[in-house]
Amino acid sequence: MTLEEWYRQDRLPHIYCAGCGNGTILNCTLRATNELGLDRTKTTFVSGIGCSSRASGYTSSDSLHTTHGRALPFATGVKMVKPDHDVIVFTGDGDLSAIGGNHFIHACRRNIDLTVVCMNNNIYGMTGGQGSPCTPYGAISTTTPYGMREMPFDLCAVAEAAGANYVARWTSYHVKELTQAIRAGIETPGLSFIEVMTQCPTSFGSKNKMRQVSQMVDALRANSILKDKADRNKAAGIPLEPGKFVVGELVRRSNPVLGGRP
Amino acid sequence: MKLVIDEHRCKGCNLCTMVCPYRIFQEGKRPGPRGYVIPALDQPERCTNCRLQKIYGRQLCGMCQLTCPDQAIAWIEEKPYEAHKVVIEY
Repeated sequence: MTLEEWYRQDRLPHIYCAGCGNGTILNCTLRATNELGLDRTKTTFVSGIGCSSRASGYTSSDSLHTTHGRALPFATGVKMVKPDHDVIVFTGDGDLSAIGGNHFIHACRRNIDLTVVCMNNNIYGMTGGQGSPCTPYGAISTTTPYGMREMPFDLCAVAEAAGANYVARWTSYHVKELTQAIRAGIETPGLSFIEVMTQCPTSFGSKNKMRQVSQMVDALRANSILKDKADRNKAAGIPLEPGKFVVGELVRRSNPVLGGRP
Repeated sequence: MKLVIDEHRCKGCNLCTMVCPYRIFQEGKRPGPRGYVIPALDQPERCTNCRLQKIYGRQLCGMCQLTCPDQAIAWIEEKPYEAHKVVIEY
């Protein structure tokens, strides 16, 4: 199979705004599935509601566009009924951590054999740019016009604490590394959680002095610190600066798996 | 192989101009058929994928295709009689 066959050509071009990183993450996911040589009839994409969750509609294999926050329960059902299918979940930060927060924790606890790709654009992009649990401290959104006064969620730390087998974080700028991480996530049994920090120039950037796509991508590149460097800094007693985040493969372990391949 | 931008998919975000290591993509000036300003290709013969993909049997760089959020960049087969532009660099 070629990469083009993984896209639903009749649905393209997609509805994402100009410069939205979700299309890049869709590219990386489909490149990873293509490189692994997965069977298109045995691959299922599941998504909830939001910008990110439109991605499953642009794939040519089986796809489920489900209710808000309930992508993981639907995916759990698919995996339990069809253990030989590869189930990949596209979800956003609001969909996964706010409305579907408990589902996320319990999917990690069960360690069910899914690959979760979370497109974290720090905001609810599709409904007008409200603040989400992942909006950085001090950032401006339509519901926080004087700056966010709540601390953001660290989704990778939640997944790690709840028991996921593979946890990684990359940005939509690190495309090659992201493709490798999604490949590793699909190959690892158990819940693989890949958080992708992505740009939203329309809803987030325009309110936070990053109207241009290049400014948002530069900010992503400047704020990401590789895990090795963060570990060295930690050993030297240098704390992580506020606003920066660690990228890389954070956890890989082999806990018992629910719904693995027979 | 030939590098092409699908004008009906491109939304003019210019991410390809940021990531291309050979600086082949340049910011465009004229709007395309859908009103977006589409990047222009500056000497696409320098693209490694165009020249060497067949010889090596695998994709060599592909950063622009992987980064393009609109799936607009692709490599297509050239027709055998298609004229090549000769570039002489002094």
